[in-house]
Amino acid sequence: MKPQEPIPHNYPMRKLNLIFALSSLALLLATGGLVFYDYVRGWKWFQLEFNRLQQERIDQELGAKYDEETKARLAELEKEDREGQLEVARNRNAYVTAQKDLEQWEGRHYAADQDYRFARALLDAKRYEVEAAIVQRRADRDAKQRDYDDQIEKVERLNLTLQQVTRDRDAARERVGVFLERMRAVEARRKEILTSIELLEKQRRQVQLASTNLILNAPMLDFINPTLKIEQVVLEDLSIDMNYMSVPRVDRCMTCHRAIDRPGFESKAEAERLLNAIQNDLARNLLQPSRRGDAEARVAQLQRIIDAPTQILNPFRTHPKLDTFVGSASPHPLLEYGCTVCHRGQDRATEFGRAGHTPASRRMEIRWEKTKLPIIPGPWDYSNRNYGRTINPFLDTPMYPRQHYEAGCVKCHAGQVDVREGDRISEAMQMVELYGCPACHKIDNWRFTDLKKNGPSLDGIAEKTTPEWAFRWIASPQSFRSTTRMPAFFYQRNMVGPTVPSAERAQNVRLQDAEIHSIVTFLFTNSSRRQWQGGGAGDPARGKELVDTIGCMGCHIAQDMVPGEDGEARFARRDDFPLERHFGFNLTGTGTKTTPEWLFNWLKNPKGYDAHAPMPSLRLSDREAADITSYLMTLRKSAFMSAPVRDPDPGAVRGLAKGYLINTMTDTQAESRLDEMSMHDQLMYLGGRTIEKYGCYSCHDIKGFEELKPIGTELTIQGSKNIHLFDFGFAHDHEAWDGKKEHILHTVPSWIYNKVRSPRVYDDKRTKPYNDKLKMPNFQLSPREAEMITSVILGLTKERVTQNRRAAGDARMRQVEEGRKLMAQNNCRGCHVVDQRGRAIGALISDPNFLPPDLTPQGARAQSPWMFDFLKDPTVMKIRPWMQVRMPTFEFTDDEAAVLVAGFAAEGHQPQFDTMRHQMPPARNVAIGREVYAMLRCQQCHSTVPADPANPPIPDISDTQSLAPNLTFSKPRLRHDWIADWLRRPDEMIPGTRMPTNFPRDPETGGFQSPLAMAIDTPQFAGFKAALLPHFENEEALRRTMADAIALTNYLRDYVWSVGLDRTPAPGTMPQRAVPPSAPAPVPLQTSMPPPSPTRTAATPGSGTVPGVR
Amino acid sequence: MTFLKNFINVLSVASISFVLLTAIFAFIIYFNLLDGKIRSKTGIAFVVFGAISAVAGIFIQPLLYFAVAYFLVLWGCAELGPRLWEPKIGLWILIASALGFGLSMLDPNFYKIAAKPDNVPIGAMIFLLGFFTWVALRKAYYNDRQIAAGGIPWEKTESDEKLFTWPDLVYTEMLCMIGLTVVMTVWSIGLRAPLEEAANPTTSPNPAKAPWYFLGLQEMLVYFDPWLAGVVLPTLIVVGLMAIPYIDTNPRGNGYYSFRERKWEIGLFLYGFLVLWSFLIITGTFLRGPNWSFYGPYEFWDTNKLEPLVNINLSELFWVKLLAMPLPKLWLIREAPGLLIVFAYLGLAPLLARGPFRRFYLKMGAPRYYVGAFLFLFMLSLPIKMILRWLFNLKYLVQIQEFFLNI
Repeated sequence: MKPQEPIPHNYPMRKLNLIFALSSLALLLATGGLVFYDYVRGWKWFQLEFNRLQQERIDQELGAKYDEETKARLAELEKEDREGQLEVARNRNAYVTAQKDLEQWEGRHYAADQDYRFARALLDAKRYEVEAAIVQRRADRDAKQRDYDDQIEKVERLNLTLQQVTRDRDAARERVGVFLERMRAVEARRKEILTSIELLEKQRRQVQLASTNLILNAPMLDFINPTLKIEQVVLEDLSIDMNYMSVPRVDRCMTCHRAIDRPGFESKAEAERLLNAIQNDLARNLLQPSRRGDAEARVAQLQRIIDAPTQILNPFRTHPKLDTFVGSASPHPLLEYGCTVCHRGQDRATEFGRAGHTPASRRMEIRWEKTKLPIIPGPWDYSNRNYGRTINPFLDTPMYPRQHYEAGCVKCHAGQVDVREGDRISEAMQMVELYGCPACHKIDNWRFTDLKKNGPSLDGIAEKTTPEWAFRWIASPQSFRSTTRMPAFFYQRNMVGPTVPSAERAQNVRLQDAEIHSIVTFLFTNSSRRQWQGGGAGDPARGKELVDTIGCMGCHIAQDMVPGEDGEARFARRDDFPLERHFGFNLTGTGTKTTPEWLFNWLKNPKGYDAHAPMPSLRLSDREAADITSYLMTLRKSAFMSAPVRDPDPGAVRGLAKGYLINTMTDTQAESRLDEMSMHDQLMYLGGRTIEKYGCYSCHDIKGFEELKPIGTELTIQGSKNIHLFDFGFAHDHEAWDGKKEHILHTVPSWIYNKVRSPRVYDDKRTKPYNDKLKMPNFQLSPREAEMITSVILGLTKERVTQNRRAAGDARMRQVEEGRKLMAQNNCRGCHVVDQRGRAIGALISDPNFLPPDLTPQGARAQSPWMFDFLKDPTVMKIRPWMQVRMPTFEFTDDEAAVLVAGFAAEGHQPQFDTMRHQMPPARNVAIGREVYAMLRCQQCHSTVPADPANPPIPDISDTQSLAPNLTFSKPRLRHDWIADWLRRPDEMIPGTRMPTNFPRDPETGGFQSPLAMAIDTPQFAGFKAALLPHFENEEALRRTMADAIALTNYLRDYVWSVGLDRTPAPGTMPQRAVPPSAPAPVPLQTSMPPPSPTRTAATPGSGTVPGVR
Repeated sequence: MTFLKNFINVLSVASISFVLLTAIFAFIIYFNLLDGKIRSKTGIAFVVFGAISAVAGIFIQPLLYFAVAYFLVLWGCAELGPRLWEPKIGLWILIASALGFGLSMLDPNFYKIAAKPDNVPIGAMIFLLGFFTWVALRKAYYNDRQIAAGGIPWEKTESDEKLFTWPDLVYTEMLCMIGLTVVMTVWSIGLRAPLEEAANPTTSPNPAKAPWYFLGLQEMLVYFDPWLAGVVLPTLIVVGLMAIPYIDTNPRGNGYYSFRERKWEIGLFLYGFLVLWSFLIITGTFLRGPNWSFYGPYEFWDTNKLEPLVNINLSELFWVKLLAMPLPKLWLIREAPGLLIVFAYLGLAPLLARGPFRRFYLKMGAPRYYVGAFLFLFMLSLPIKMILRWLFNLKYLVQIQEFFLNI
């Protein structure tokens, strides 16, 4: 065979080998990069950093534990230990013998124990064999049975042996123990000292960066048992709606927010707040004795945080409200609620940007976006809280920014008027209701439906004011009253603002003028024109006094200038007053706005002017009404009326009217139609269309517009809308109405905030036809108000939580909330405290004895029948006749009153009706109660002389300290059990009450103490003792009872019950609706109170008799 | 700079860039592959076309831009001639285009779209397409020269040699494998999977884009009714590709690169693949933004940009605009002009067989010719419809709502 010719290679092999070497190296590097990229995660740095923080904490605590005293004690123990050893050494021979003996016994015991256990094991096996043999009817079953019985015997024998050996071994142990006794005692004491220290050291080993931890967390080995790992909470029933399916929520936030449920990593401000709260509790003995130790340890911890040189920054902070959220004892524990259900964000994400963090401000956004290397953030950035790219534009549910955290409450708490511990969101929801957002924007949830209209009826506007005033008011409500809730519709930034070209600006002014004129013309032409009869001249000084004292100020303000931050007076803002006081309008300028005749009748009977008027009647007498009228008429703002009213421009009116007409007809038809119309007709036509355009009818009753739908965008799921559905226009930085600079971030919260703050801002720099421009009026919201309203809107999402997670979902709470909603709509909080919030009027009343009552415990306190009667007609009982503030007559319907009463009862966990009011206590209890009543000197303040509930004698109010209700009113009014409860803990029920705490709590046990326990044996009480003794078996029983606060309060209750009246007057008939006759006939005069009804006269005979006392 | 960006923005508008690309395609064939001259009938026709658009450009600014770019390209192609296939020139073109792309990345709007992880492979595709087309045409050109000079193609010179499987084949394959693995790994680390929001039937993304390989089809939807763009044309593309080996029986050019031997085959394929398919994908990827509106490469994708809806049907054009009378009630009469045009267009196939395509007809035989001509006409219907849309805002040639039939 011919040898084959060598075939040349296509490529030189050396070159290929070189390429192979290089590409393999590249592959190795790429693979290394892959592992590195997979291994190095941002969250690991956060965990490491937190471990370091924890280590610091532990070191601190260890330092605190290892103080000089402990060291000295340990040294002492060491010394004692050595002494013990010396002692053993002295008796060395005896000790060694005993020790050897013990060793032998230990050996024997081990053997005996093993024999016994093995025999037991054999026994169990044999039992099975016997059973099997019997069941299978085997021939050897008898033999097996015998074998089994033998084994039992053997086990018993071995057990006896074991017990014997154990006894002997224990004896040997004791013999050795004699020598070691002292050293063992020392060891026990040392252990006592070292337990907590060792625990800390164990914790320290877990977090320190030592060799074992390094190996456990090494790349490729970290799948076994790493100490750095992703933490998560799986929430099955708080699922996430992925449009096609629901998936369980898996919150991993605590992977980086490691301290979120661990107290001890608070910010300094937060620590100070908590410290004060705990110290307050400690000082007031409100903590259970068993929890005092923990509380003191916490105080020390918080003090350390405050004293530390550096702040703890996020993500390492503890949740600021552990009592309410996240904490295991809170209503929202971490394992059941997670994080994103409230905060939103991407639950499974473990990266800053992907998690959906939303910046609260531009400053924060800039800080977050910063990195040292472009785009790629690393630990060198994290410590400065820089995170590179932050916004995840594809996330449907980005987190709420910091100022809107409480928006997360709404989803579950929308069925509530008040969210517990959520004062801000409760107030915000109240604000949304009061400012009338739901009037124009449908919000389809319980809280914001079935509300009353926010503005007064305009059907009788001509009766109370003039067109000239109305024009100026509509043009600029805030320049008449800086605190008004009426928003400004006209001359806003998209009409006359700086970005509107000047030629267009002038035209817009003409068009806006025309629209206002048309509205005024329309309203005044269609208004009713009843003639009102005045009440004659009054005394303004007395009127002012009345306004200040009888309760007008619960709902109204009479002030438009307040001292500013710089000391100069400035215009008042809504923020300067509690929300409740904006329920009614600001009284300033009333004299400019209206006529004394109308005002007099309005004050006397608001429902006579408008059946739906929110203002209740204060049952003013003619004199009072006249005085108040004359006072209010002195509140004038003449400067307002001197502002010029431009005549409507005929061209503008015609143009606007034509704009509407050509929607349904041709140009020529419209023109000829307009030619037929007079100027007045044109204005009337335009007025109707303009009221429709701006939706005036949403807040005001206007005849002819009853059926129209609200004009605003529906907000029911506004918080879930994606960002691309928001038109940001060309707006970025802008100046709000108050001159403050605002920046619009490209986030939904920022859009909404700026929308409510400067409603027309998204028209800036845009070119739009006049009627297409944004129409939302300017409420002149302050930044705080705008933020609160934004929070509520953000909370309105499409997420639906399951029934069991919804707050106030049970039947009882529904009753409570229905009541609360009605209370919110009637502004009860203007005067009363409800659930620890409210009583706006309180700031104006210096003496707490004159404050309207706190209704927090009302449900448990008052009987439903009485409450119903009282709500229908507050004159049935004057509980505190010295009060100047009057409970108004709201003219509730039976339905409304029943809802309120049921709400109260449900809130107090009480049945609506109970049998106690028909029952009398045993005579013995009454007798004892009477003595106790005297011993505690209740009569100093309280009276038990029966009086007419509707007209009780007014006590001497010079000494306001001793003002107290007449106790004979208690039985028809109060709940039986409540009386005793109240006697025991008045200050806990109503903090700051004048009722003294006669039975203080014992700080050790938390129980009630009786002041009579000691006093009964003093000579001053000898008379009482003698009177009481016949009711008890012996003196010991008497003493025992006198020391028993519960028994004493029950006796007192029975006494109070026994002196009570039997019945109260029936509620009066509804006051007549005063409709003035068309002829100028006198208005029917009303007395300050409805005439006594026959029932009432019968029920309360003269004051001389003693009704109800048996 | 702004002027340059604006210039490119205008040029990239679909109508202009499409015509420009078609023109470049023709230039390259004429000047660079067939050694054409400006001083020839065809060359003068090119110049006249450019002159007409320049004159029109006095009134319509985009056309002026078009004319400028047109003459630049014309000049470049004519000047370069066959030198286009020299490696040095090829390298310069590559460097220039890479530089242009790199500098464009400094523009925030361009960067935002080009650097999107979805779009990066399409960016790379532009260069790969250009490179491989250039390599193929270069080989074809030199082979053609060899053959013209009486030689044999380059591929034939080496086809007789034998090589070992190892190392010549397997080793190089393995090296490619390693290289590819490295590239994929680095890519997957560097560009993360572009995950977007959870799918939601009520809020579809804007623009809602098909996967990149279907963007050409989606782009066709702009010009055709869905049943044509989504059903008929894609089917014909697939069927047509399968039919090629049966239609094309030309034995020459097998196993080596050559252009002159297969002018029509290669020309048609490249036009269909580069201009009618790849170009549409690139347009769909980089230049179609929210609402499927057209955005230049340096333009911000503003959702608020509106495109006026002013397209009209041929029936309206004919009856209302031309004859100034209302549309006939009966659909057959109403759509008669459109139907006539459509049938006439399809009737071109036998007509051409007697005219300019006579030699194909004779060479291929009737069945092959008709299938091929039919496919050819359908392919050309796309650019024709596009141009009709741009020139006359033509929506449909035939619109019979009665049968939901739109052509």
